[in-house]
Amino acid sequence: MTSLQVEKNSQDGKVELKVHNSDQHLPVWTKDVDLHVVGRPAPRAEGRDKVTGRATYASDVRLPGLLYARVVRSPHPHARVVRVDTSRAESVPGVRAVITAANDLNPDWWKDGKLFDPVVRFIGDEVAAIAAESETAAEDALRLIDVEYEVLPFVTDLEAALEPDAPRVHAGGNLAEEPTIYTRGDVATGMREAEVVVERTYSTQTALHNSLEPHGSTASWQGEHLTLWDSTQSVFDVREQVAARLGLPQQQVRVIQHHMGGGFGAKQIAWKNTAIAALLSRRAGRPVQLMLKRDEENLASGNRNATQQRVRIGARRDGTLLAIDVQIDQQAGAYMVGGESADVPGMYQMLYRCPNVRTEQRVIYCNTGPAVAFRAPGYVEGAFALEQVMDELARELQMDPVELRRRNYTERDQPADKAYTSPAALREAYERVTSAFGWKDRELRRQHNGTRRRGYGFAAHCWIGGGGKPPGYSWVKLNGDGSADIVTGTQDIGTGTRTGLLQVAAEELGLPLDRVAVHLGDTSTGPYSPVSSGSATQATIGPAVRAAAADARRQLLDAAAALLEANAADLDVRDGRITVVATTRSIGVSDVMQQLSPHMILGEGQREENPPDKSIRTFGAQCVEVEVDTATGDVTVLRVAAAHDCGRIINPTLVESQVIGAVTQGLGFALTEERVVDHDLGLILNANLEEYKVPTVVDVPAIEHVPLDIPDIAANPTGAKGIGEPPLIPTAPAIANAIFDAIGVRICEAPISGQRLLEALQP
Amino acid sequence: MRSFTYERAQSVDAALEMLGNDGAVRPLAGGTDLLTLLKQDLLQPERLVDLKRADDLSRGIRQTDAGGLEIGALTTLADIERSPLVHERATALGQAVSLAASPQLRNMATLGGNLLQRPRCWYFRDRHIQCWLKGGSDCPARDGENQLHAIFPADPCVAVHPSDPATALLALDASVRLRGPRGDREIAIEDFLVAPTEARRLETVLADDELVISISVPVGGPGVRSSYVKAMDRKAWAFALVAAAARLQITDGRISDVRISLGGVAIAPHRARAAEAVLDGQPPSDDVIARAAGAADEGAQPLRRNAYKLALVRGLVQQLLTRTVASSRST
Repeated sequence: MTSLQVEKNSQDGKVELKVHNSDQHLPVWTKDVDLHVVGRPAPRAEGRDKVTGRATYASDVRLPGLLYARVVRSPHPHARVVRVDTSRAESVPGVRAVITAANDLNPDWWKDGKLFDPVVRFIGDEVAAIAAESETAAEDALRLIDVEYEVLPFVTDLEAALEPDAPRVHAGGNLAEEPTIYTRGDVATGMREAEVVVERTYSTQTALHNSLEPHGSTASWQGEHLTLWDSTQSVFDVREQVAARLGLPQQQVRVIQHHMGGGFGAKQIAWKNTAIAALLSRRAGRPVQLMLKRDEENLASGNRNATQQRVRIGARRDGTLLAIDVQIDQQAGAYMVGGESADVPGMYQMLYRCPNVRTEQRVIYCNTGPAVAFRAPGYVEGAFALEQVMDELARELQMDPVELRRRNYTERDQPADKAYTSPAALREAYERVTSAFGWKDRELRRQHNGTRRRGYGFAAHCWIGGGGKPPGYSWVKLNGDGSADIVTGTQDIGTGTRTGLLQVAAEELGLPLDRVAVHLGDTSTGPYSPVSSGSATQATIGPAVRAAAADARRQLLDAAAALLEANAADLDVRDGRITVVATTRSIGVSDVMQQLSPHMILGEGQREENPPDKSIRTFGAQCVEVEVDTATGDVTVLRVAAAHDCGRIINPTLVESQVIGAVTQGLGFALTEERVVDHDLGLILNANLEEYKVPTVVDVPAIEHVPLDIPDIAANPTGAKGIGEPPLIPTAPAIANAIFDAIGVRICEAPISGQRLLEALQP
Repeated sequence: MRSFTYERAQSVDAALEMLGNDGAVRPLAGGTDLLTLLKQDLLQPERLVDLKRADDLSRGIRQTDAGGLEIGALTTLADIERSPLVHERATALGQAVSLAASPQLRNMATLGGNLLQRPRCWYFRDRHIQCWLKGGSDCPARDGENQLHAIFPADPCVAVHPSDPATALLALDASVRLRGPRGDREIAIEDFLVAPTEARRLETVLADDELVISISVPVGGPGVRSSYVKAMDRKAWAFALVAAAARLQITDGRISDVRISLGGVAIAPHRARAAEAVLDGQPPSDDVIARAAGAADEGAQPLRRNAYKLALVRGLVQQLLTRTVASSRST
């Protein structure tokens, strides 16, 4: 039974709500607990549907009378929309609806903006939209919408936007918010006491998510009720936003996401495309599908913010860090769109024990598409700088870079001033990854072949996410045949959430996997669950599912106790069979349920509070071997070994998939991926997959996952934490450090392209 | 994409009859570039004439009586990649094709179409930019983001030719057979792929009412061998930052009959004549190769973002020549 404790703070009136699964505190799955389903490589629950093409994505929805939508987008980086004439477009055969700022509800959107704002602030900003019988008709009509613009001065470069006379993206200026300053100790004193100081400026590029499936929605109205099939990381946030903007009560909006082709953070907020599809559908009286094209995806649907980081670190000769000082500028693009913020300072504040730290972060508007969270937002950018500075410091001190990190180890979350729930995890990552990689013996293997030179690099990371927190809910239905339905309002964004939750439920219920189904991704059937971000889903919803399953199991064992004439406390259930411990008496779960039928058992669970006195974080480290051809600037990543803390591993295959995917994205971030802008024209030159270069299968080396699998028993009763984002964090700096190790040239600008290497190598 | 009519031509003559001379009708083969141009709204043809069913337009690789190769215009890059004859007689072409695009694209793309593909210049490919090559008045790349552009720039367009096979074919001294209403003509590849002019804003001399019929590679003398190298900013599926091809003969320990071509450096594949001159008549020593590589970028005039290509040309040509002299003889 769950109890809620509601406290009202007498000072600020804020309400704090605490959740306790009070009468049944779940026993923690410690390392010694004997588990039968959890910890094993179960195949993905939806794998067969995906490989046979049966899985329904947002663009696969086919409804009678479906119309196809296209969006009119600004060709100017900054302009006032003077006039939108839709008359020619409306006469195109097959056009069924056209919406503009003038002719339909034009709700508020982003901070200080409208769905179709009178000022467009980047190339790709939305101006109007069309729905037609076919995509071709919609495109024909798109070309016939006449928009008159009054072109305004623009700025697309991060540093140029801070010049006093820079064009203003918003009336309030180009600082998107007040600078965020964090201090602990006194940096000036620390620097004075330091025997070695390293100072360096690093920059990271704007990276594009490039999910295989673009953003998109299919909208359909039944009277005043709206159903949306949306490619989203948060069905409930989309419901809340769309309901609020369209003035509907939430129960009249249903959002469904059964399968998704990648989000990587860019789908964690409600984007305009969903509301546009809904408005067009209402106007046309027909269902409407709006899937974005690749260029729209890359212009207007989020990106990883570019950064510039001016870093100074000071240490004693023995490697002890005394001071870290960093000034961070990061690019917001044209709007602050919300969602997880890019916490670039986080790494500097948390990763190493250091008494004196100062971080200053400025977020800056530019006339480019808005930035949004991208897999481990902020930490990827911060790690690129911090982990290279640490490498430089190690060289300055003539110390092994791993040893330098050991000497600055911390078991505490210093900004929060709390102990970590997993204080040994990072140390384990250091030791196991270097041992698996052969870090100590790397000099024995180093070989140079003509202009091709080998190098080895190491980088570590912490990550603010992975811990999860309330709220998060689940129900378990035990059916008349002994099978079970698990219902939750979370969504599977492609990571395998469905399967992870299935394993947790089957373990707790004592049922085989094929007797359990997980139902998620639908606001009308599942209880509220938060956005899938921050690598939190398994750690948030896993314990809620386990609590619901435990609630059902308790009732099941009560029923079985009556039938077996035994004490419920003496019963155990495993693989679908309930036994009286230390006897041969048993009964099948299906037998119990058949005797209860048509009654069923309904279990309820909520995510419990996190421990108040501890900090739940995740950690990891990677080693990389590269070969650099100094004649051509060609970099080949030969080997990556990765060790990452995600607490207990629920499913080793799924965890390894996340590690491989994240390292692959990290490799692209390190070497090839970069949005290119012509700042004179305000033009994005490679909003495509041709010149925006994600790694191909040939670019990706053998990635060795070194599983840690250390249950985080203080974090939650499953001991599991998230792994979705963090393995991306250390890849780029590890590669950068390996490149330096190979050729003695440090490139402070990401990506480390052949072009930049060749320029740096010229005498 | 805008609507257009689609027709199949059963023969070359039928196709030629359908083609006009105003660009409103376009021939379609593999479509790997044409469809991209249509989707980007860079071309608005009224009609496409599909050549793939034209019985007398050849798809295949044939050895000529003289021992050279004749490759039909419809031959796919995948066909060429898999041809032992090509790898033996025109090694550089086989290697170039293997490094071009992706397996999926090579299955569709034809050699004729590959030579005719338009530049990948990102200003040219942006439908909102009216650059000189598309009939506008100036070239935004010349002072813009030109990291991928020419180091032997033409005037005013600074785009580069995207084809890998073209670079190899220039080194191999290949020629192209064209057919039009005025009959056939055979043109050396360097006269076929040329810089656009004020009046002809196109990278070939092919007229709107002509078709590419075949590509011929002449037979080499004894001791002739060739190879192709390519620098990309990832390991596969990218256009060349710089590519280089060489064909040369080694007899009695001396190099002769040298042709070195560079891709990714100019609007048409570019002969590195200074490097050729260094090699001619010399023994294939490391020193000679190094000097030839050092001369490979002679005459280059880099733009503001692409000076790295000079070092890349020199480094790549060094690897190219080292590999070529070490490779086994191919006829």
